Amino acid sequence: MTPLLVAQIVLTLAVFQGLLLSAAAMVWVERRLAALLQQRLGPIRVGWQGLLQPFADVLKLMFKEELRPAAADAILFTLAPVISATAAFAAFAVVPFGAATTFFGLLDEPVSLQVADVNVAILIVFAISSMGVYGIVLAGWSSNNKYSLLGGLRASAQMISYELSYGLALAGVLLLGNSLSLTEIVNQQSGTWLGVVPRWFVFLQPLGFLIFMTAGIAETNRAPFDFPEAEQELVAGYHTEYSSMRFAMFFLAEYVNMVTVSAVAADLFLGGWHGPFLPESLGWIWFLAKVGAILFFYVWMRWTLPRYRYDQLMAFGWKVLLPVAVVNLLATGAAVLYFGL
Amino acid sequence: MTLFYVFAGVAVVTSLLVIAQRNPIYSVLLLVASFGALSGLYVLLDAPFVAAIQIIIYAGAIMVLFLFVVMLLNAPHEDTEYDERTHPLARPGPTRAGSLLAVALVVELVWALTRAGEAPSPFPEAGLSSIAAIGRALFTEYAFPFEVTSILILVAMVGAVVLARRDERARK
Repeated sequence: MTPLLVAQIVLTLAVFQGLLLSAAAMVWVERRLAALLQQRLGPIRVGWQGLLQPFADVLKLMFKEELRPAAADAILFTLAPVISATAAFAAFAVVPFGAATTFFGLLDEPVSLQVADVNVAILIVFAISSMGVYGIVLAGWSSNNKYSLLGGLRASAQMISYELSYGLALAGVLLLGNSLSLTEIVNQQSGTWLGVVPRWFVFLQPLGFLIFMTAGIAETNRAPFDFPEAEQELVAGYHTEYSSMRFAMFFLAEYVNMVTVSAVAADLFLGGWHGPFLPESLGWIWFLAKVGAILFFYVWMRWTLPRYRYDQLMAFGWKVLLPVAVVNLLATGAAVLYFGL
Repeated sequence: MTLFYVFAGVAVVTSLLVIAQRNPIYSVLLLVASFGALSGLYVLLDAPFVAAIQIIIYAGAIMVLFLFVVMLLNAPHEDTEYDERTHPLARPGPTRAGSLLAVALVVELVWALTRAGEAPSPFPEAGLSSIAAIGRALFTEYAFPFEVTSILILVAMVGAVVLARRDERARK
C-alpha cells in the first residue's frame, strides 16, 4: 500500500467517525442549549456536564425493540432509514475541510483534506442530498400510516420547493468563484480587502448567504420549517412507526445533514479554512469554528422561532425566496460582467 | 472495463425489472437505480457534469414527482382484467397496441445493432467534461434548440395549470 492510499483510507475513516461524533455532539449541544434558552439545566448527570448523554441515548436505542407495522411494506420500510443515512454521509465526501497537507512530511505530495477531490463537487453535494428525499418519502409511504404518509409528502414537497432557491443561491457564488470545485472556491477567498475585511464571499453575496441558510433549514427539515414531523398535527411525521436503531438512523441523518449544510456554507460563503492568526496548516480549526457557529445558529433558531404554517412556508418559498434568489443571481451576473471579477 | 460492465449490467437489469414489477412504487425506485447506473456510465465517459445533472434532474427531481403521483393515486397493484394466459395479441386494445410497439422496438434494435460498424463513434477529447464548453455550445451553436425546448416546457407548464384550473371550476 502506498502512503497516499493509506492517507486516503485514514481520511475517509476520520471523516466518517467525525460525522458520527459531530451528530452525538450536536445532540448534546441541542439539548443543553435548548435547556439554557428555556431557563433549565438539561442533561447534566451522565458524565461531565452531561457530555456522555448521547452515548447513553444510543445504548438505550440499541436495546429497544424494533417494531414494524404488520401492514407496512417490509422491504421499503427497512430500506428507507438506510437511504436517509447513506445519503447524509455520502454528501460530505466531497466537502473539503482544510488546506492541502503532507501530514508532517509523511507524504511526498500534499493531499487536500477531503475524502474525494472532484471538480464538480457542489453538484455532487446537491445530487446526493437530493437522494435523501427518497428515504423520507419511502418511510412515510411504507409505514402505511396516514400521519407518516402526510409527513413524507410534506417533506418531499418542501425539499423540492426549497432546492430551487438553494441552487440559485449557490449559483451566485459559482459565478464569483468561476468554478464548481469547492477547494478552488475556498482558495479564492484567502486574503483580505483593505487589510481588514476577509475576502469572504458572504460580503459579496449577503443576500445569497441569507437565502442559502433559509433554504438550508428547510432542506434539513429543521424548525421553524420542521413540518414533516410537526408533532401537534402529525404525531412524529414520517418516522412515527419507527423505533430503535431504525429511528436512530433518521435522527443521525438529520444531524449529519445539518453538519453538511453548515460545512458547505462555511466553504462557500465564510472562506472555509482561511482566517487570521492561524497558519494555513491549522486552518481546519477555523473551519470547525465556522461550522460550529453556523450550527449554533441553527439550534438558536429552532428554540427561538415558532413553526410556520404549511401554506405560509410554500408561499414563502415560491413567492418570496425564489424571486429574490433569481434577482440576486441576475445582479451577480451583471456585476461579474461589468466589473469583470 | 469491469466498471463499465457493472454499471451497464445494473442499468439493464433494473430497467427490465422496472417493467416486470406489479407495484408501481417499486418500478419508480428501480428506475431511479437505473438512472444511477447510467450516471456511473457518464462518469466513465469522462463527463462528470452530465453525470451529476442526470442525478439531480432525473433521479432527484423528476422521479420524486413520479413517486408523488403514484403515492397520491395510491395504486398499489396493477389489476389485470383479462386472463393472464391469453395471447398478447388477443388481449384488450391498449395491450395489443403495446405488444405491437414492443415488436417494432425489437425489430428496430436488431436492425440498428446489426448495422453498427466496428468503429465506435469518436469521443470528444475531454470536451464534454468542461462546463464552460457545454455552456458555450448551448448558448451559441445550440441556442435555437435550447430556446425552443424552454418554450416547449413553458407551454406544457401553462397547459398543466389550465387543466388543473378547469377541473377546479367544474367541481364548484
